[in-house]
Amino acid sequence: MAFVKISKPLPALPEDWNSESNFIVHSPLSPAVHRNLSPAGPHFLAHARRKRHSRTFSEDDRI
Amino acid sequence: MSGNPSPSLSVSPEFDDDTKTVIGIAFGNTTSSIAYTTPDGKAEVIANEEGDRQIPSVISWVGSEEYHGTQAKLHLVRNAKNTVAYFRDFLGKKYSEIDPTNSHNSAHPMDIDGVPSFNLQQADDETASTVSINDITTRHLIRLRDSASDFLGRKVTGAVITVPTDFSDTQKEALVAAAKAGELEVLQIIHEPVAAVLAYAARQTPEEQSVDKNILVADLGGTRCDAAVVASRGGMYTILATAHDYGLGGLKLDEVLVDHFSKEFIKKHKVDPRNGRSRAKLRLEAEGTKRTLSLGTSATISIESLADGYDFHSTVNRLRYELSAKKVFDQIVSLVENVVKKAELDLLDIGEVILSGGTSHTPKIASRIAALFPGSVPVNAPATLTTSLNPSELSARGAAIQASLIAEFDKEDIEQSTHPAVTVASHLSHPIGVVIGEDNSFQTMLEAQTAVPARRIAQFGVQADGDVIVRICEGIREIVVAKVERQVNGEKDEEEKEEEEEEEEERNRVLKVHKIIAEAALKGVKKGGKVEVTINVGSDLGLNVAARVIGTQIGVRGEVKPGAESA
Repeated sequence: MAFVKISKPLPALPEDWNSESNFIVHSPLSPAVHRNLSPAGPHFLAHARRKRHSRTFSEDDRI
Repeated sequence: MSGNPSPSLSVSPEFDDDTKTVIGIAFGNTTSSIAYTTPDGKAEVIANEEGDRQIPSVISWVGSEEYHGTQAKLHLVRNAKNTVAYFRDFLGKKYSEIDPTNSHNSAHPMDIDGVPSFNLQQADDETASTVSINDITTRHLIRLRDSASDFLGRKVTGAVITVPTDFSDTQKEALVAAAKAGELEVLQIIHEPVAAVLAYAARQTPEEQSVDKNILVADLGGTRCDAAVVASRGGMYTILATAHDYGLGGLKLDEVLVDHFSKEFIKKHKVDPRNGRSRAKLRLEAEGTKRTLSLGTSATISIESLADGYDFHSTVNRLRYELSAKKVFDQIVSLVENVVKKAELDLLDIGEVILSGGTSHTPKIASRIAALFPGSVPVNAPATLTTSLNPSELSARGAAIQASLIAEFDKEDIEQSTHPAVTVASHLSHPIGVVIGEDNSFQTMLEAQTAVPARRIAQFGVQADGDVIVRICEGIREIVVAKVERQVNGEKDEEEKEEEEEEEEERNRVLKVHKIIAEAALKGVKKGGKVEVTINVGSDLGLNVAARVIGTQIGVRGEVKPGAESA
């Protein structure tokens, strides 16, 4: 899958950072909105294929 | 002309049973188009036997002879009562629901058990028969299918047909049934704005298609104008809002010219040509004049024996026409502004504009719409972008592309893929991104209105040796209005000065951090290294984050569980 290159650098780790696991969760994502995808185009058909066979992205990549 | 050579003569045996031949059909009130995809995957619009690519959706009978397209349209002058036009929107509706305004100059729909029908003479004797809207549609689709079969040399078996976004399920069912009665299998019905987006996406690389943006599609037709905002996320399309205006379109522009020329005619001859046959003649010619004005800066009209035996010759220039048509242009512009508002977006949130439909050829409309947006936003219309596709062909091309994608699918596969279980998806309400730079600005990775599951990968630079932090957060878009004082030029006269002294507003779209979701630390990163961040949002809104320094063992993974309310 394609990735985007971002020119600006990541910020430095603050001095007072202390966490064992190097990963802190603050809050879950905001609730989503239910909408209808337009069932057209090659990317949608790939989405439908994944959904119907309950595959993840990486499983789909391997096939 | 109704006797087309039978297409079956040219069918070669190896194509017979297994190969499906599919086309795309754009079925409009005013015109229809047929398209196919070449073996190298390009969509091409097919010209019918008269050489038309925009085939008038008109059917006419003279005795038992059936006329279709441009030939039938000419019968609006001589044989209006046996000519059916502007019938697409009647399909699948009850008589009480239809608006017959555009039928006043042709066969009028009648109420036969609630179904809009027409009283037509279809035989050589004088007897009239009633023909339902479904039968009219079937005949129209058969003629379109046969034109495609003649061109391709193979029997067309299936089609993807485009319809407006407000077509009801009943209307779709009626369309499928009408096609079936004409031995044409409807593989899928897709929406016109999505077809227009597909037509443009087809000439992009997969990477370009995946670029996230909000696309505004304005479909400016003959009898109606429709606008839609389509969110394109990773090549998948979600319609965010639609707006319709049923009285607006090319016919209104024809009327502007009809009125303009009529006044001139009255001045010369004291006769008003705006009734019956004279009006029909004038309308037909005014439409041609209007088209010429999209290409040149002046156009002529000449009609022999327009009214009371007087001939009519005149010229109109584009400027004059644009002045008279200003009201119609204003309405189109406000339709466009409206749909963006309806999508709860700002004009600055629109990344691309696609103008579709025949009326999009008008240069003034394209430039008026382009003026709403910053110069960096491409406005795909012939007058504003030389690389634009023909706006009259977008729907048919999009339909042909979709038809070629699903041609080999089983009927069951298509039904399953278009089932709400597949099409209804959770869409992110806020963009998700990473905090970057000295100023803690927000870098979007997943746009708002992205359907989940979704995955994005981004690469970041590292400024100095040491530890860095990957802050995953939700963003919020703000429109920042800055007052910019313009320089006053002393040489300008008074009136202009007053205008110049007013403060001008400069509006900017800014993304800000709304809520921090998670933080990940990467320790001991070398200067000049590259950090790759992958975010993966599941359909339950669970978030997986992986950050790693490319070419090293340094990496961190984490998971954010979905919130209670979205479970």
